[in-house]
Formats: sequence, structure tokens, C-alpha cells
Amino acid sequence: MNTDPMLAYAAAQFLYREAALLDERCWEEWDAMFTDEGMYWVPLQHGQEDPLNHASIFYENAIMRDVRRRRLNESRAWSQQPVTRTARIVGNVQIVEQSSSGLKVRSTFQMTEWRKGREQRHLAGHYTHDLVGETPGEWRIALKRVDLINCDGIQDCYEVFL
Amino acid sequence: MNAAELAALVKPDKVHKSVYTDPAIFDMEMDRIFGKAWVYVGHASQVPKAGDYWTTLIGREPVVMVRDRGGEIRVLYNRCPHKGAKLVADGCGNVGPLFRCPYHAWTFTLDGHIRGVPFKQGYNDTNFSLDDPEFSMRPVARVAERRGFVFCSLADEGPGLEEYLGGALASIDNFADRAPEGELEVAGGVMRVMQHSNWKIFFENLNDTGHPQATHESSFAAARRTVREKLGGKTPFELHIIEGNGEPNSFWEGLELRCYDYGHSYMDAIFNAPTDEISLEYRARLEAVHGPERTQEILSMNRHNTILYPSCSPHTGFQQLRVIRPISVDRTLVEIFTFRLKGTSDAFFQRTISYTNIVNSPSSMVMVDDIEVYQRCQEGMESDGGDWISQHRMAGHDVPFDGGLLGAGISEVPMRNQFRAWSAYMGETGA
Repeated sequence: MNTDPMLAYAAAQFLYREAALLDERCWEEWDAMFTDEGMYWVPLQHGQEDPLNHASIFYENAIMRDVRRRRLNESRAWSQQPVTRTARIVGNVQIVEQSSSGLKVRSTFQMTEWRKGREQRHLAGHYTHDLVGETPGEWRIALKRVDLINCDGIQDCYEVFL
Repeated sequence: MNAAELAALVKPDKVHKSVYTDPAIFDMEMDRIFGKAWVYVGHASQVPKAGDYWTTLIGREPVVMVRDRGGEIRVLYNRCPHKGAKLVADGCGNVGPLFRCPYHAWTFTLDGHIRGVPFKQGYNDTNFSLDDPEFSMRPVARVAERRGFVFCSLADEGPGLEEYLGGALASIDNFADRAPEGELEVAGGVMRVMQHSNWKIFFENLNDTGHPQATHESSFAAARRTVREKLGGKTPFELHIIEGNGEPNSFWEGLELRCYDYGHSYMDAIFNAPTDEISLEYRARLEAVHGPERTQEILSMNRHNTILYPSCSPHTGFQQLRVIRPISVDRTLVEIFTFRLKGTSDAFFQRTISYTNIVNSPSSMVMVDDIEVYQRCQEGMESDGGDWISQHRMAGHDVPFDGGLLGAGISEVPMRNQFRAWSAYMGETGA
């Protein structure tokens, strides 16, 4: 919908930075991209509308994200010996809604995940970011939604943020 | 492998590693345990209307649970008697008034009986007959339902469901009794997590009071740090259920482990009934139906994981059911269901969802370390580094009672009890 190339460029750069922070396990800097009330959500159901009355793969507020990122750095996080490495590509970035206070950005991601001694895993899906802030420099994530194409399939465990 | 060789694999305080690693033993388990025991199929609330179905595996057998036109729940092999095609796709839905095979359009009524075949004249003067059960969908040998929980047995003979579950039956009853309307409803979706380990490892873990402090240190230590550094020492519900695993030895030693014949058991609750607003409102609803005395009786049966060997584990306090489907000797599929207690508020159910997101989701910060250590067990068992798996903790102190064994606190009695049942099943020859 939005055709302002500078805004589209800024939105893509925002997502690339976020992806890089995750791939580099910079959890605190990544979490700082969220608003205080910001949510990280990975639905269990295709097209899921309700995170409260239906289970999710992840539905995490600032507190749960704080526990998760601390756990990932715990010396006795057995399932992080050795740690998970990821590489993701974000593309097809589209601004799908825009208002004076923010915008909704949809993108597609491909993510490869590996731990030594375990099978390499390929994940794919769509990101939807609800960003608040009047200018790109002020943007914060109010909601990051990750729709995995296999959300309702049989899963191996997830540890790091997608 | 003969009966004496099988018997030699299970000692009173240890078991041979091959019971977890030998594919031939796995195959025997499918026949001798899953081919005989009462195995959980699904819940009646998943098939409310005629034609509604739910598919699952009973051992290696694909079955379909369906509600027929008379309202009865049937469990049928998901197999067309013509060419063997699975009649319905895996999952759930509604078949309509008849099952219809996607291959040659043979049709069956909802009780599995053959209704019609195309090209009927082609069967004149052959041995085909609509009255011959060989040409109908085969029902499983026995189906039984308790408070909506549907179990089946692939064997004609054996104890009835209630005798089979023994003292563990009370966990099912209490699950439903906790609903003000006395009924449960599957709601909130189903999670499916693959474990890269033998199915028995998971069962042994469910009542293993010796593992939480070691296995789950990463999550309870992280949660405690968050509470200290971000929340001024206050522990919200979500973190309470994580940090409970870090209780000291004395806590685990004080729990009771009660085991029943056929491999069932339960451990005392590790989270006490909360006294927040949602819990008090729920209690008031239960009291409005039953009065305070009966309500207290219902809520004081506070069990953590109950093991209904060999197929599922309800957690009544947070309305969860984990269903265990062995896939191969080193792969186990666990399906996690959440239940709405009929007559409770949305806020109450949302806590059920919150619990499952934190404890049972594939992203669970708690479960991920369990699944890691199960896989390390599986890989270690396959090594030549040793032949036996220890179950010595408080061995020799199991207290028998009529219908089971009692153990205290940190005992490994639930594991010994599971292998008592395992040996009885596996020792019997033939089906």
C-alpha cells in the first residue's frame, strides 16, 4: 500500500537489524526493540486470532522474554550445550498498514537452525511487525507475530527466538 | 526372544538397556502391551455431533474415533476393507452421513458397517457379501468411556477399564469433578512434540522427583533472577510454575508416590491451589454447586502428574493431558491437550493455556531440558559403556498395599512399578 520508498527502505532496514541481532544472540539489544508492553507471539494455529484462549508455540511478554534470554545464557542450560546457531533471510518486506502513530510490516523469512550433534532444521514463515513510533528512529515493536508454515505440525523443540 | 530371556532384562532394582534400544523389543511391546492394554483414544467432546471423527494411533494401528447416528462413540480401524486405504485423512473433521473411501467409493455407515459398493453387478456370483464382516470396517475389540475419556483395547480378553485403572481412576473422576458442571471439554488446540527417545523414558520422568533440581536448573535459576532483578521479589503465576522445580531436597522427600497395578501411579501436587482472585472465583462457582464440604474434598485431591500406563498422563490441577504415542524405538510423539472445565470463566481457562504455553509447548523453557536429557539417555544407552539402567533409589522400601505400591518422596518406585507391569505384559506369550 505505501509507496514512499524511504519508508519502505527504513522498514526493511529495521527488520534486517532485528534479524542480525537474533542471529548474533544479542538478546538484550533485541529485546530493547520492543515497547514495554510489547509481545512476541508464535501462533500454534494457522490464522490464529486469539492468543489467550488458544495455546501458542510462544506467547511472551517482557517478563517471559527476560527469563528466556537469561536461560539461554545459563551455564546449565543442557540443551544449549553447545548453543543453537541461526541464519535467517528476511524478504518480501511490505508495509501493509500505516497511521500517524505507526505501521504494520509483513515479511517472509527463511531460517536455518543448527546445533552440533543435532539435525540442521529449516524453518519458514511470515513475520508481521506492529511498529509504533512517528519516525523510523522511534519505532518500537508492539507485536512481533511469527506465522510458521508448519505451526500445527509435529514440532521439535524451540529455544531461541524466531 | 523367549520368556526367560525377557524376564532376565528386568531386575528388582535395574533394567537392561536393550529394553530402550532394541527394535525387536519395541515391536514386541507394540503387540504385547499396546495390543492388549487400555489405550487412550480421545475425548468425547472432540466428536460432539454424528459423523465427527478424530484419528490417532493405538500402538501401530491407525484408528478413527467417530460418533455414530445413535450418539454412540465407535473406534474403528482407519482402513477400507477393499484395498486397505485409510478412509479418512489424519486429523479431525466430519465425514457426513457415511464414510466414503477416496479410492473406489465404497461406503460405510458410521458404525463401520458396509453400506454399498459401485459396480455391484460385478460382485454377483463371488464370495463378496454385504453381510460378511470381512467387508466392513473392523471395530477395535473393546471401547470404554469414563467421564468423556475414551479408551480402547485391541484385545478381546482382559480386565475392564475400571478394574484396569484401579486407584488411578480417581484422577480421571477428579478431573471432571473439578468442573462446576461436572464435564470437561477439549479446547485451545493440540500441541505435538517429538521426543528423540524411547517412550518409557518419558513415562519414567513423569513421576521422577529426583530430576527437577538438576535438569531444570537453567529455567528456575533464570526465573529467580528475573524475579529478583526485575520484579522486586514478587513471583507472578507464570514464573511460579517454572521456579517450583528448584524446591530443595526436603520438599521432594516429603511428597507421596502412589503406584497401582498395571503400571499406573501419581505424585503429590507440587503447586498448591493458588489463592488469587481467579482461583477464589472458581472455588465459589464450585461451592455454589456442591457446597463447601464437597468442594474442599474435590480440590484437596491435588495430584501432579498421574500416569495412566502406557498411553497418557493427566494433570488435573492445570487441566492438561499428555498423550504418548510411541513411533519407533527412539522416537516418541507426545500430544498435549488442554481442557476447559465446563462452568468456569474465560480467565480460569486462560490460566490453563498459560500453563501449557510455559510447560508443554515445544518452546517450553522447562521441557526443552527434559527432552535434551532424554535424548542423551537414548544415545548413552546405545553405547557399550554399560548394560544396566539403575532404579536403585529407595529400592527395597516399596510398601505393598492391595492393588499397588507406596513409596515416599524421592523413591524410584514408579519406575519399578512400570516395569512390574511391563514384565507381566511381555511375559505373556501370544496375543
